[in-house]
Amino acid sequence: MIKKIILILLVVTTISGNAQDKTSLGFFTDRDVYVSGETLLAKIYSPTDNASRIVYIDLVNSSGTRISGSSIEIKNNEANGFLQLPDSLSTGIYLLRAYSKNTVAKLKIIREIWISNRFNGLENTKQLKRISELQAIQEESTPKLNLEGIESSYSINSNVTANIKIDESLLKKIDGNLLVSVAQTNPSFGSVSYKWSSDQGKDGLTEKKGIILSGTITDKKTSAPASGATVYLTIPDSLPGFQHYQTQSDGRFYFQLEKYYGSVQAFIQCFGNTPAQRLKINMDELFAEPGNLPDFSQQPISEEFKNNITTYIDAVTFQKVFSQEKLKFQAPPKEKSKSYPYYGKPSNVVDPQLFIDLPNFTEISRELLPGVKYRNFNNEPTMQVMNAAARDYFNEMPLILIDGIPIRNLNVIKDMGTQDIKRIEICQSERYYGDLRFPGVVAIYTMKSDYSRIPDSDQFIRLKLDAIQLQAKLAEPEHSEPDIPDLRQTFYWNPSVEPHETLPVKFSTSSILGKFKIIVRGRLKNGTMVLAEKQFEVK
Amino acid sequence: MLFLAWSFTQIACGQEPSNPNLDAQKIKGVRQLPYPSYTGTPFLTSEWCPGKVEFPNGEISDTLFVRYSSFKDELVYYNKVAGAQINIDKASINGFEFIDADGRTRSFRKQYFDDYMKGDRFFEILSSGETTLLAFRKVGLITTPAYHDISGVLKNMAYDLNYQFYFYSPEKGYTLVRINQNSLLAKFEKASQRPIKKLLRKSRIKINGESGFIQAWKTIEKEGYKVIF
Repeated sequence: MIKKIILILLVVTTISGNAQDKTSLGFFTDRDVYVSGETLLAKIYSPTDNASRIVYIDLVNSSGTRISGSSIEIKNNEANGFLQLPDSLSTGIYLLRAYSKNTVAKLKIIREIWISNRFNGLENTKQLKRISELQAIQEESTPKLNLEGIESSYSINSNVTANIKIDESLLKKIDGNLLVSVAQTNPSFGSVSYKWSSDQGKDGLTEKKGIILSGTITDKKTSAPASGATVYLTIPDSLPGFQHYQTQSDGRFYFQLEKYYGSVQAFIQCFGNTPAQRLKINMDELFAEPGNLPDFSQQPISEEFKNNITTYIDAVTFQKVFSQEKLKFQAPPKEKSKSYPYYGKPSNVVDPQLFIDLPNFTEISRELLPGVKYRNFNNEPTMQVMNAAARDYFNEMPLILIDGIPIRNLNVIKDMGTQDIKRIEICQSERYYGDLRFPGVVAIYTMKSDYSRIPDSDQFIRLKLDAIQLQAKLAEPEHSEPDIPDLRQTFYWNPSVEPHETLPVKFSTSSILGKFKIIVRGRLKNGTMVLAEKQFEVK
Repeated sequence: MLFLAWSFTQIACGQEPSNPNLDAQKIKGVRQLPYPSYTGTPFLTSEWCPGKVEFPNGEISDTLFVRYSSFKDELVYYNKVAGAQINIDKASINGFEFIDADGRTRSFRKQYFDDYMKGDRFFEILSSGETTLLAFRKVGLITTPAYHDISGVLKNMAYDLNYQFYFYSPEKGYTLVRINQNSLLAKFEKASQRPIKKLLRKSRIKINGESGFIQAWKTIEKEGYKVIF
């Protein structure tokens, strides 16, 4: 029996030993030193055993305040994105953090970067803070990854062609894509990535499909979580996006933003079990709490570092003046299917502009809207829609939308005349969307489309969300205006290089003088991070 | 034992609780109003069947009880929360499948039909391959001699099965076929018809219904004979 158990244990150990390391990760940026207002480029090698589709990167200052962040899509366990560094940042050390919500308490990757304020030099700065006593994520330099054709120096604005040679034995071991970057380097400030897991708190939900927007509905009187409240999320668009959620005893709600890219406007509404119940929406932060930070130690600042920073500030200021963009954005992926609004294909579409001017909605409904009965007796408006199949009016109020946002207070629309309305869509049927029932639909699209008619309250929140980050690539230098100097500090950034035995890399130097590095990075199937680098100077 | 215990732990750790609220792909539809009551049935199955629905984004909802309406070419599902029978919007799904009372899995796919009465139709897939054998399970209304229905109301209409079968190829389109040997043979080149006849005789396949027809087509397809469109 003991022999059998030992045998099984041996088999299990062998299997575990041969398996690839699914927890390996990496976090790289185009440079380590930036100037406020710049755009930072980042690549993350996510653990292969993480089911999340989203990785967050955010910027935290050395006192633990979160400044900005973005949510990046993970594709094949890799994420490529960028982060806009605000113009107003003060000079100093900052921490970049990369994490997925479902593992945020256990694991974050942090990377320290230096950011200088554009309007504030380093004259009075004598020391800089650096992370101390933290184990860095190891990268292995390998001779099987060769950089050929790189000379020790180049002149400004010259074209360079290099070759990356990968040994066949290494090629078989590479997992995913390589990151190739050519950027200015600051020998007196080198940064590495660290694993950080000392934060308290709980892991969030796995964002398998996309960003999860969450919050809690509370009773306004008692501040207790509201059970059974209905929460709506509307994302106005040419076809409005809509989701609904019924809260449980904890008052929590969750929405998935799986198909939205870039900045989107969203509206969250909640409704209680009775019209008299007053509720409050409390949204969760999209990003993780800054939590504990690693220890820092003070280090002296070198003169060389100070001089370099002055050059960087000048270069970035010049680029800002001439609006030289670092990134070129790619359009978000389009949905293939023929789409129609969630409230169904309208049975009637009315364009009030084709008719005579009418001063209010009572007149519009009477004259223009087939099957819609809108009455305003004693300043208490009511609306009913015809159920075409049953040839009778629904007893209940229909779903009324203004620019895609559901409303229940008909006073909002009573003063709307034909001049305010672009079109009205009517559904004369009993529609269902999941478990929601709509006894007819009247969707009003306004001329202004500014949602200003919808009154603000604790039960209605307007949000400007940064959904999944749009894909972007490094912009090519523009040679159309030769009088404007090219002051790029990052010459080349390709985070998705498919590994082959020989890979050509073409880039051009700019008018910036100094030391630059070409770096090739990758992850092996056993989890080891490998790199090859070569330094050159632009004179 | 240890290995088994370890495996189960791994599986259990990999799961997360599902929440029906988080199902972003909500089913869209309208309440189904009762069809007129005549002799025959407007539905393909007499009972609600457990089924799956596939959405255009590839997501699948597999917790529904569905019924295919052959009369209107619609999929109806029962919404327990609303207590209503709902016609799922055809535009919002790609296809569906269900297990009928005999335990057979029946798969339907939404396809554009470009012949008379153009539009999207649900076709049952009887055999898939380079050329697919499809069935359009149509039920129509016919006029009959007057009769009294179960409530004693005088009627003169009845639901009538009008199933249509097609060979379909994405490149060549649809070609109608009837469920008999002559119609099947007519779908092949003249020179191939005699060997096909011989093949069916040797394989002891008699086409006297749908199952015989499907079996015959699968046998012929295996031998590499191509349908003429």
